[in-house]
Formats: sequence, C-alpha cells, structure tokens
Amino acid sequence: MLTSLHVEGTSLLHRIPVKPKLAALMVFGLGLYLVDQPLLLSAALVLTGLLYLSTGIRLSEGLRRLKPVLFTIAFLASVNLLLLSPIEALVTTLRLVAILFLAAAVTASTAIAEFMAAVTDLARPLERLGLMKAADLGLALGLVLRFVPEIAERYAALKEAHAARGIPVKLSRMLGPLIISTLKDADRIAEAIDARGIRGQ
Amino acid sequence: MTTRDIVLSALFTAIIIVLGFLPPVPIPLLPVPITAQSMGVMLAGCIIGAKRGALAYALLVVLVAVGLPVLSGGRGGLNVLMGPTGGYVFGWIIGAFVTGLVAEKLVREGQSATKQMTGFFIASIDGGIGVVYLCGMPWLSVVAGTPFDKVVLGSLAFIPGDLVKAAIATLAARAVIVGYPLLPARV
Repeated sequence: MLTSLHVEGTSLLHRIPVKPKLAALMVFGLGLYLVDQPLLLSAALVLTGLLYLSTGIRLSEGLRRLKPVLFTIAFLASVNLLLLSPIEALVTTLRLVAILFLAAAVTASTAIAEFMAAVTDLARPLERLGLMKAADLGLALGLVLRFVPEIAERYAALKEAHAARGIPVKLSRMLGPLIISTLKDADRIAEAIDARGIRGQ
Repeated sequence: MTTRDIVLSALFTAIIIVLGFLPPVPIPLLPVPITAQSMGVMLAGCIIGAKRGALAYALLVVLVAVGLPVLSGGRGGLNVLMGPTGGYVFGWIIGAFVTGLVAEKLVREGQSATKQMTGFFIASIDGGIGVVYLCGMPWLSVVAGTPFDKVVLGSLAFIPGDLVKAAIATLAARAVIVGYPLLPARV
C-alpha cells in the first residue's frame, strides 16, 4: 500500500550519505535562481535528468512519479508564456524541471532508514527548544505507518456497512464514524506504550 | 506532550493518508474535483486542536520528505516539497495550527449546534483556506515566476471547492465533538 519511492542500487548517488545529498539539493536549488541563461539551465536540466536515471530507475517509472508535478509546471509555463516574455517563461520552466529531477534523484537513491536517521538528527534543535523529544518522532512515524492499513480496512468496512443498509456512500457521512472509531483507540495505544516504558519516562 | 497527544496526532496523520487513497469527487459546476485529503487541515485543527493538529501535519510532511507516496494520487518525495506547490504543503502545518487555535477559542462542549458549527466553519476558513493560501501563493509566485496578482486570480477557481470542503469538515467536526470530544478548550 505504501511502497517507498526508494530504488535499490549501488550508483554513485546511492553511496553518498544522505546529509551531503540534502545539502547539495538545497545549494543547487537556491543556486539555480541566480542563473538566468537558458543554455546553462538546459545543461543543468540534462545533468540532473541523467543523475535521476543513474539511480537505476526505469524511464517510464521515473516519469510516472513526476507526472503530477510536471503537469503543474507545464500549466504554469503556459500561463507564464501569456504573461511574461518567452525567454522568461523558458528560464523558469527549465529551472523548475532541473530542481525537480535532482530532488527526485535524491529521493530515489536514499533508503527510508537513512532518511529517518537524518530527520531525527535534524530534530535535535527542536528538543533543545523543549518542543518535542527527537526520539518521539520515530515513535510517532512508526505509529502512522502501522495504522494506515488498519484505517484503510476500517474505511472499507464502513463503506460496506452503509451499502448493506442501502445508504448511499457519501464522504460527509463516513468521516465522523471513521474518525471517532479511530481516535477512540488512542487511549488504549497510549497506555500500551507507557506500560512498556517506550518513551523512557 | 503526553503519549496520548503523540498517539492522537499519529492516528490523525494515518487518517489523512487514507483519505488520500480515495478517488477525487467531481462536484457539479466546480472546475476542480475535490480530494478528501485536502480537507485534512480543517479536520485536524477542528478535531484534535492546534498543537496536535500541527504535529499531525508535521509528521505528514516528514513522511513526504523521506520519500513515501502519502499524498493523494500517490505523490511524495522531495520533488513535491521543492516544486511550485511546496508552499501549500508547508502551509498545511501552520494552517492546521491556526484552524485549531480559532476552533479552541470559539467552540465549547455543550454549546448549541449552530454555535459549534459556526465556530468550526470560521476556523476552517481561517486556517484551512486563508493561512494555506497565504503560504502557498507567494511561494508559487517566487518559484514559478508567475506574477503574484495573477496567482491570486487563478487561485479563485479553487475557492468554491474549498468552501464545500469547509462545510463537510464542519459537519464531521461537529459529529466528533458530540460523539467523542477531544478539542482542548482555550480561554
């Protein structure tokens, strides 16, 4: 149901640790806004496109993943074409697609476990501010992934229950029962977590 | 944060992800179909309150960032956050917080149904529409280079759909506060 967007492989990108990759993505993403030469941006686009493919993703799958965002960019490009000069429209479009490819390449070449370790590290400053404990983040994300399939099943059961009673299935009717029945489990789950001393309190 | 707060937020994030699996509903006369997921900001704020609602959305954004396809239509990964609509995604966190803040201020258990529903509707519009657009539109304009006034004009097409969402979120939030109240009160 929730398959990671990570692609197994041993390419150069796979071997670079996650933090330098994220830093490079940020620097590259911001740096491209200083460039407004179509030729240079085209080169950047080809380079990041090749990087994306170097992760070992198949061309069709690679494009399928980016389709919604590419569609948005294409729409904005046509709007920009009407409002701005053709050169400006070209420059912003090339820039966006180049950043898009690099971001997708980082996502495809990084395993979730690596990402999670980085996210927990990056959450340490929040811990110092007293906002939340970094370790709680892992616990919370684990809970989310654990309960998605269960809630999806609950939704399907609710839908059947409505249909069986001849009530038309409508989102506005399903939300209340779905949310109440799910959140009612919270106390039980929280007790179970505390009973096991998982948060170390 | 108590363990219960963390669990409530995590369960809500899971609900938001499941809502993303549902096919978009086309509404007659409206240009853009409604996705159940984008109602989540309003639902989270109105049902579990500001702090927990914001946490639920922060968790969602982390899951997007680490490369899980948790957004409607199977979207996910860093490209969504870095793309032209990234501002809306980050805006969801603040939007859920503001929705919760307003709802906590306006809605109490034991108020009349009309009062509660009005409160939830106002909260949903403030946080789920106002704040989200305030974060998303400047980002879109800067990233895509489209002039800001034109972005605002284009966004108007989404407002009717968003109002329908606010109405559905209001009904759901009212059902939950009657059946299993969780919204903290704020004086």
